[in-house]
Amino acid sequence: MISSCKPIIQKLTLTLFFVFCFYGITVFAQDGKTLFNSKCAACHNPLKDATGPKLGGVLESDFYGGDIKKVYNWVYNVNKLVASDPHYMALKGQFGSVMTQFDHNSISEKDIDAIFGYIKQYVVDASTPTPPVEGRGGEETSNQNAVIFGIISLILAVIALILMQVNSNLKKMSDDAEGIQRPEPVPFYRNKVYIALVSIVLFIVGGFYLTKGAIGLQRQKDYQPKQPIYYSHRVHAGINQINCLYCHGNAWDSKTAAIPSVNVCMNCHKNISEYTKGPKLYDENGDPIDGTAQIQKLYEYASFDPKRPSSWDPSKAKPIEWERIHSLPDHVYFNHSQHIRAGKVQCQTCHGEITAMDEVKQFSELSMGWCINCHRQTKVDFNYDDKTGNKFYSIYERFHNDFKAGKMDSVTVKDIGGLECQKCHY
Amino acid sequence: MKNFLIIAGSIIAGIAIVSCNKVRRNTGRAYMPDMVYSVAYETYAPTNRLEKSGASYNGRPVEGTIARGDFFPYTLKNDSTSYAQSAATKNPLTPGSIDMKEAERLYLVNCGICHGSKLDGNGPLWKDGSGPFTSAPRNFMTDPVVVNMPEGTMFQSVTYGKNMMGSYASQLSTRQRWMVIAYIKSKQAASAAAKTTVAAADSIKKAMPDSAMKKK
Repeated sequence: MISSCKPIIQKLTLTLFFVFCFYGITVFAQDGKTLFNSKCAACHNPLKDATGPKLGGVLESDFYGGDIKKVYNWVYNVNKLVASDPHYMALKGQFGSVMTQFDHNSISEKDIDAIFGYIKQYVVDASTPTPPVEGRGGEETSNQNAVIFGIISLILAVIALILMQVNSNLKKMSDDAEGIQRPEPVPFYRNKVYIALVSIVLFIVGGFYLTKGAIGLQRQKDYQPKQPIYYSHRVHAGINQINCLYCHGNAWDSKTAAIPSVNVCMNCHKNISEYTKGPKLYDENGDPIDGTAQIQKLYEYASFDPKRPSSWDPSKAKPIEWERIHSLPDHVYFNHSQHIRAGKVQCQTCHGEITAMDEVKQFSELSMGWCINCHRQTKVDFNYDDKTGNKFYSIYERFHNDFKAGKMDSVTVKDIGGLECQKCHY
Repeated sequence: MKNFLIIAGSIIAGIAIVSCNKVRRNTGRAYMPDMVYSVAYETYAPTNRLEKSGASYNGRPVEGTIARGDFFPYTLKNDSTSYAQSAATKNPLTPGSIDMKEAERLYLVNCGICHGSKLDGNGPLWKDGSGPFTSAPRNFMTDPVVVNMPEGTMFQSVTYGKNMMGSYASQLSTRQRWMVIAYIKSKQAASAAAKTTVAAADSIKKAMPDSAMKKK
């Protein structure tokens, strides 16, 4: 009995041992991560130069030679060493700033060990690539359905034609058998009924497409131009949750929403030079897009060298000539701030699910009927009493009286002049 | 006859299939171009024709002018001496005149993406190091560098950029930048006030995000 128990006990101790070991390692790594993020990450990155030099491989470099004591020495004596040691003087020249000196209270030697343990692990993890998340939905099904319906109706039409032919042949045969004399049948292309039928069908179909085409003149629904840089709104506004107004801030207080300048891109891309963490990107033919190469294109416009970020001269940047997608005719006035600030309309109401679009296409028709329809249906937040309300609406006395009397329950844009011609055309 | 129908049908079906998968890359035509395309220069319109004609145009406000309602231009330059001097600059806005709701909106739109909606330096671009940004944004609540930073230095940093942060002068007007800084300072003051009411020991524990100190 005991002999059979022994291996189990052995196994148990072994497992426990491993569990503790593993637990110890993860705790160590966790500490290193929190310490690194709170003390170092503002200026240092394990893999790339930022405000300060990258820390991956620093310990193994010729200067440190794997000696962590030299790192301690630097961290606690920054101000002394930067004035005397040629290595640090050179680094100061390269990065243009000096690290904050730490004392033993704010960061202990053990902490530094943990931080460098974490950096080592980070570099190892980063060199083993993880496959990026696949992110592509199936949008083929609706197309396939239409094709199938088309084929079926074509087959049915052919069958109907054959049956008609068979029918007339049979009739002729039975007539011949019964000896009835009938006039020679008129061929279908000279049959007046046929001709009338075909011309009516042609008139209807042709008229339909002609009208549709004429209405569609200068309408750009689904317009999706090729942009100079493959910029994915899904990655920026969707996955990374950047607010629309971060780049298109003018929409809040002006007529146009503003196409962001290179400077706005570079706010983040001064730092983010690679596309590694997001889903795979594809163009319209299903060919993969290299995100890092697209960021590289931005750097060419900005004349920015990611290897020497501190030497960037923004005045040398050239504007990116983005293709404009949404445009209204000259005879229409549209104001963004009026809609999103005063009217509290969401961007997505007119621009669609931008956060799911890689390349943006025009979602709405931007036709007059489309505008008017929205003005008829959209209810106005008529409250003007409290702090959040719009004082302007206090002038509509009759509506407010009708509210109180219970004669109406809501005011739409139409009621306050949303259908007046001069509101948009003048 | 039948052959003709089949051929015509398959051609139509083929066109339908091909045209369904195409992405629309053209704008289409206009019915009355005179009324559609603006003769005047509109926003986004290229200005190279203007420049070629010799007109003096650079797309910038005339030098020495101030937009209505905005402040006098900021005089400090983007260098280290100005950075040191900026500590003396005071916020020209009086606390009562600031619409804190609007300031919060400006913070959330422009700053929250990195510095976090709770000002904890953990916005969606950083996400504890798993976001795409490779440098940790400052934690306005606990990082002593920014907790003790004078508002003038903050303004200098927001105007010209600092370390990995870019310049926000193109996105936020002078007034808006001061509003955002007032918002951050008010939040910092509120959290400092909350901390002093709690016992001192507890507040230290809160300020130290790492459990490491306790273990060692």
